[in-house]
Amino acid sequence: MKNGFFARIFGTGKESSRDIAKKRLQFALIYDKLEVSDEILEALQKDIVDVISKYFEIDKSSLKLDIERQDDLSALVLNTPILSAKRKFG
Amino acid sequence: MKGKVIVITSGKGGVGKTTTTASLGAAIASLGKTVAVVDMDIGLRNLDVVMGLENRIVYNVVDLAHGRCQVKQAAIRDRRIEGLFLIPASQSDNKNALNTDDMARLTKKLKEEFDYILIDCPAGIEQGFENSVTGADEAVVVCTPEVSAVRDADRIIGLLYARSITPKLIVNRIVPYMVVNGDMLSHKDVEDVLSVELIGLVEMDERVIAATNTGSYIIDDKTSKAGQAYTRIAKRLLGDKSVPVKEPVYDQKGLWGKITSKFGMRK
Repeated sequence: MKNGFFARIFGTGKESSRDIAKKRLQFALIYDKLEVSDEILEALQKDIVDVISKYFEIDKSSLKLDIERQDDLSALVLNTPILSAKRKFG
Repeated sequence: MKGKVIVITSGKGGVGKTTTTASLGAAIASLGKTVAVVDMDIGLRNLDVVMGLENRIVYNVVDLAHGRCQVKQAAIRDRRIEGLFLIPASQSDNKNALNTDDMARLTKKLKEEFDYILIDCPAGIEQGFENSVTGADEAVVVCTPEVSAVRDADRIIGLLYARSITPKLIVNRIVPYMVVNGDMLSHKDVEDVLSVELIGLVEMDERVIAATNTGSYIIDDKTSKAGQAYTRIAKRLLGDKSVPVKEPVYDQKGLWGKITSKFGMRK
C-alpha cells in the first residue's frame, strides 16, 4: 500500500518518501550522536595526559588527540612520543 | 497541596507546543483539577492569545519570579473553565531575564497552589529551555512527522534524559491519507526512531486553527478529532492507563474508495 498499485505490480516503484525520510533520520541521528565538542575533547586529553604521565615521561605539548571519521566508524586516535618509562610507579 | 510540574517542549518551533499546552491545560482543568499554564517564551509571548486571555494581563511570570507580585495577582483565571489559570510571559524582557534559581523557587511556590503546572517551553535549547525544565517532574515532547522536527525532538529527549527526566511523546499533525500513500512518516516510524513512550497522537485538524482564531479551546469542540485526542492525552497524564492511544485512521469513503485505497491507487 505504501507504493502505488502499478508500481507494485510491475516492480518499477521508487521507494516512498516516507521510507526515505525514516532511513535518513536514522542515519542523521547516529551521526549527530558521534559528534564530540571541543570542550569534551580537551577535557579528555587532559585526563589521558594525567594517566599516561603516571607511567611514562611524555612531552605533554606534542600529544595529539583526534577523532578520525570514516564511512562506518569513528576512531579515537592518540599520538604521543614517549621520552622515557618511569622506573618507579607513582 | 503538592502539585506536579509538566514541561511541554519540542526543540523545533512551530510544531504545536503552545496549542498543546493550552489544550492540555483546558482538558486537565475540565477533569476537575486546578491547573496553571505558564508561558516561558519570554519576549515572544503567545499562550495568552491562543487562550483568548490577552486583554487581561496585568502581571507576568518575570514579575512573579522576581517577587513583584503574588501568585494570585499573576495568575489570570479563565472564566470559562473552572480551575484553569494562565501565568503569561513578559513581552518586554529578554530571554535571560530569568535564571534556573528563579525557576526553582517559582515552581516550588506554584506547586503549593495548583494540582498541575504546565510549562510552555520556548523553541531552542538555550536559557529558555534550561529555565523551563528546571523544577519539572515530567516532560511531554511534541513532534510532527517531519524530519526536522524528529531530529530536534531527539536532541531534546537526550537533554531531558541527562536531567533524569523520562519524556513522553505526542506526535502532532498526522495526516492519515499521506501516511497511507507513503508521503508522510507514520507515528510508528517516529516512535521507532525516537524510542520513547508515546502518550498521544493528534491528527491534523483545521478546526485547531479556527479555535485559535477566536481564542477558544479545541477540547470544547466535541466532534473535533484533535480535541478528542487532547482530552485522551490529559486523562493519560492524570494516570488513567485505561485510555488507549488512538491511532488516526484514514476514513475511506464508500466501497470504491476502500478498494482503490487498498491497492494504493487513491491519492
